[in-house]
Amino acid sequence: MSGIATGAGVLRLEEEPPDEQIHGSTRERDNATERRTERAAQTLANPALGLAKISLTFGGVAALRDVDLEVAQGEIRAVIGPNGAGKSSLLNIVSGLYRPTRGQVQFGEHSFDQVPTARLAAHGVARTFQNLALFKGLSVLDNVQMGLAHRMRAGFLRQIMGAPLARRIEEENRTAAKEVIGFLHLDDVHDRFAGTLPYGVQKRVELARALVARPKLLLLDEPFAGVTFAEKQELSQHVRNARDSLGATIVLIEHDIGVVMGLSDRVAVLDYGRKIADGTPDQVRADPAVIDAYLGVAHEDATELAV
Amino acid sequence: MALLASTKTNRPTAETLWIGIGIVVAYGVVPLAGSDYLLDAVLTPFLVLALAAVGLNVLTGYAGQVSLGSAAFLAVGAYAAYNLHLRVPGLPLLVDVVLAGGIAAAIGIVFGLPSLRLRGFYLAVSTLAAQFFVQWALTKFGWFSNDNPSGVIDAPVLRIGSVSFATAAERYVFSLTIVVVLTLLTLRLLRSQSGRNFIAVRDHEIAAKVIGVPLLRTKLLAFGISSFLIGVAGVLWAFAYLRTVEPAGFNLDRSFQILFIIIIGGLASLRGSFIGAAFIVVFPLLLSRIGAAVLGRVFDSGVLEMSQHIVIGALIIVFLIAEPRGLIALWDRAWSALRPARRPAIPT
Ligand SMILES: Nc1ncnc2c1ncn2[C@@H]1O[C@H](COP(=O)(O)OP(=O)(O)OP(=O)(O)O)[C@@H](O)[C@H]1O
Ligand SMILES: [Mg+2]
Repeated sequence: MSGIATGAGVLRLEEEPPDEQIHGSTRERDNATERRTERAAQTLANPALGLAKISLTFGGVAALRDVDLEVAQGEIRAVIGPNGAGKSSLLNIVSGLYRPTRGQVQFGEHSFDQVPTARLAAHGVARTFQNLALFKGLSVLDNVQMGLAHRMRAGFLRQIMGAPLARRIEEENRTAAKEVIGFLHLDDVHDRFAGTLPYGVQKRVELARALVARPKLLLLDEPFAGVTFAEKQELSQHVRNARDSLGATIVLIEHDIGVVMGLSDRVAVLDYGRKIADGTPDQVRADPAVIDAYLGVAHEDATELAV
Repeated sequence: MALLASTKTNRPTAETLWIGIGIVVAYGVVPLAGSDYLLDAVLTPFLVLALAAVGLNVLTGYAGQVSLGSAAFLAVGAYAAYNLHLRVPGLPLLVDVVLAGGIAAAIGIVFGLPSLRLRGFYLAVSTLAAQFFVQWALTKFGWFSNDNPSGVIDAPVLRIGSVSFATAAERYVFSLTIVVVLTLLTLRLLRSQSGRNFIAVRDHEIAAKVIGVPLLRTKLLAFGISSFLIGVAGVLWAFAYLRTVEPAGFNLDRSFQILFIIIIGGLASLRGSFIGAAFIVVFPLLLSRIGAAVLGRVFDSGVLEMSQHIVIGALIIVFLIAEPRGLIALWDRAWSALRPARRPAIPT
């Protein structure tokens, strides 16, 4: 990656002031570029997630057409695109909520026509949702602990009776939940009902619920949508930490190209269900197809989304 | 009732005091001081309905699965215990009670199977199948009622070892013990991972599935536990409260009565189940006293029943619109409004 290309990209990006702040300093960015190259090299060796020729139609509408995507171990992989491009559909396929009309999903050595959603957690995959998907009637702590529900191996009778196995797992799960709550600065609200919290805080609780299981693969559907600028900065730091400290591979859906620039190693661009570009942020930003198809409408969409 | 909130508050001494007072009153004072009328016509049905409401609340309030078949599981419990007692003579009564609950649970699980595909209104309609099927089977097959022509069964005297529970006070104590024990066990279940799974399935089924909550197992557990509790309530209804029951007593009206208890008392609240049951039992009695006092002779049983339906119907609508969390929410609000006023009075 040449410095000039990076510079050109930055110039183009300067039009969106918030992004610069999210990116942090230029030096950080250089380091990120190095990491990116290393990770890209690993891609073919052992992808954390592979999508092969994925197509999806609803009735007559094609939501996705022949999409290939490879996500390397430990990379932050952004998928961006305008409204209705098929980003959420892609995550729903990866999490097994949708069955692709054609194509295959691969986790490590497992390959699926339809991913078994019930076994997702067991495969080390966690996700968040575009629209909040918290359990409103549970406290923040309980919501986060729900992220470990699949670890409870003791049956309900042993849970009622407080058998040693049930007590031990409960204890472990609670400790892990408290740890993540501390990590995401949610201590002050840990006993509040999730439904009563402001939107941005709920987004953070959902991230905590996904992180608590220490997933190998973390799927985030627009984690920054509809939150304030300060929350956006904090959240993107948490996403970075999830990779750097917890070692998760991350697929990050975003609407807005600017937000993901400093955060992601590689970016895939969807438009009308097709992948129109794929590469490092700088490559994607300089791609004429992306500029034509996507960047031109980014600003309108960004304001639309903030509503 | 203070018992149920005990582990949540951080004032153990006050809570312990309330629990102590509750136990002394419920076991010591009430059975001795209460008239047979109070015990037989008010307290025992209150306890039994509260247990049934706890059962329905597990399913509907916590796990979010609507059911209109509660009366069917009351009936299954009652008739199962009757037949176990009749046909397996050696069995201790408590074993009969638990097995009857187990049979109700098994049938509940079968009728819960559609819940994997159906929800809301459609699930409610499919639980009606349980309601009609059970009532039909109990009337159709004489075997269940030991060939009584109209399906009526006479419950035997409750007996544990050499202790029998025959008088009004004794039957009240028997019911009280079973209801308290089962409510506490239910509370423990709701505080465990299984209980959180119920709420997760209710609040966001897809998120729950993605996290790895076993949907089918969780829903069937809710149906099983719920039917078990309602089945045991059915045993108490037949053996401790009425002592002579017929299938017609477990009709759709009874199912609705239990549903109304949890709506008025408060969905997803065990305390609400008790408050709602108290309301449903006491309210008609109050209404008839007040009606008789105000209107005299005109207020006969027909008018009573009609005005009862009107008021309860209106209350359901009011609660659903204005306070979906029921009487218990009003109670909690009144309680917390009282507390700050009290606090400064305590010297620090
Ligand atoms: N369950 C569904 N049933 C029918 N059509 C669907 C369904 N889910 C998605 N679609 C359609 O598929 C296309 C892609 O939708 P998708 O939600 O994946 O887009 P997106 O990129 O996430 O958009 P946004 O930025 O608005 O979230 C849209 O045309 C949408 O209407
Ligand atoms: Mg989307």
